[in-house]
Amino acid sequence: MKTVQTIVTLLNLGAALTLSASAEEVNAAVEAAAKLDVKKVCDVRANGLEKVLAVAEKYNPEAVKLGVEFKRLGITNSTYIKGLKEAVKAKKPEVTLKYKSKGKEKSKTFKTDYAAWRSCHFAVRALQQVKEAQSTYRLAIPGDGYSF
Amino acid sequence: MSATIVKASALALIAVSVLAAGGHNVQAEKDRKALVAYMEKKFANPLKNRAQFFPYSTDKELKENIKGDLKFEEFVLGSYAFNKQGRAQYDEIAEMPPYEDAIDAGEELYNGTKGIKKCFPDPAIAGEYPKFDEKKGEVVTLTSAINDCLKASGQKPWNAKKGKMAELEAYFAYRSKEAGKKVDIRIPSQAAQEAYERGKKNYYSQRGYLKLSCANCHVQGAGQRVRAEYMSPLLGQTTHFPVYRLKWEGLGTLERRMGGCNKDQGENPHKPGSPWMKELLYFMAYMSNGLPVDGPDIRK
Repeated sequence: MKTVQTIVTLLNLGAALTLSASAEEVNAAVEAAAKLDVKKVCDVRANGLEKVLAVAEKYNPEAVKLGVEFKRLGITNSTYIKGLKEAVKAKKPEVTLKYKSKGKEKSKTFKTDYAAWRSCHFAVRALQQVKEAQSTYRLAIPGDGYSF
Repeated sequence: MSATIVKASALALIAVSVLAAGGHNVQAEKDRKALVAYMEKKFANPLKNRAQFFPYSTDKELKENIKGDLKFEEFVLGSYAFNKQGRAQYDEIAEMPPYEDAIDAGEELYNGTKGIKKCFPDPAIAGEYPKFDEKKGEVVTLTSAINDCLKASGQKPWNAKKGKMAELEAYFAYRSKEAGKKVDIRIPSQAAQEAYERGKKNYYSQRGYLKLSCANCHVQGAGQRVRAEYMSPLLGQTTHFPVYRLKWEGLGTLERRMGGCNKDQGENPHKPGSPWMKELLYFMAYMSNGLPVDGPDIRK
């Protein structure tokens, strides 16, 4: 009986190791985003609108794929980026974003610089959080990383 | 001789597999028991444990409005288990529950919708979902099972958040409660265990522009206030759905409520039928194993 119990324990250990190994597998975009200094790469004054927008455009689709896209007050980051692209192309100082909230059509206007900073910040941070959560989520689990 | 060894090895492997299959919930049970212990300790004596569990609450609030000495079974009521003022309001509304018509409507849907009775011959099944479907290799929630059933009989799926779906689920919950059923979520295989672990990770990971995890509010934050509302504990969180929410002025499914939580965290809500959502609910429901099914119910 003890032998069987040992084998079962070993199988469970194997399963646990497999789970922790899969938890370590993170998307390449997440790894790349994790290395960025979000304040620097999303600085519109230092980098210019186009570069900041390019960062947002690069990372936000990955956040969408992973299901971690940010949304603030009814506006998804994809909506920010879409509106921003048009404003940058037309060299407009302001960007008007149209979105739906509770079935109603709404719109909000932002300074283009501000919208660029936000979309870049949202895209990069969403992925950085995925990386951070790999090592932090267990700290909140009672009986695991969280003692009481 | 070699044939005997092969036979013996095969038998041993089968025996080990069978025993191992029974052990896929070992970690989940450990998690569940630790959660129960945490919640019971937290609510044993809120005033005495203020520094550890309720650092932002006043002595007056803990003394007058938070009930202590809570035991496992009481968590089925969510925040009304400890929130004395909220409980008084809840009891008043429960005298004339606004969801009663929905139960009747759900019964009509059960008897009158093509295929439903065949898919769910016993309507007292609310405590068994979400379950892991070995053939599909994925978690199936009650909502997704109902929609799969409708599609299989050539009908359009229902809105997963409210309307007919919430009504039929209200009937299932009511029949389960009437039959004295308890939450009984199973983890039958390695694949199911992996789905549970992903759901757990989803629950405890900080996300959105507010960088909040579900646990920030419903484990460590349970019993603390956001403005005038007390946050409910993870333990017992799924037992009472669907709920009639005063904010919605109607009945909604668990998936609808979870979408609202995603928005509150500052992220684009996950779709009700997405693997992310289904695995999250699988984990959450497992944490309430052993508690009675208590739906449908009322919430603010």
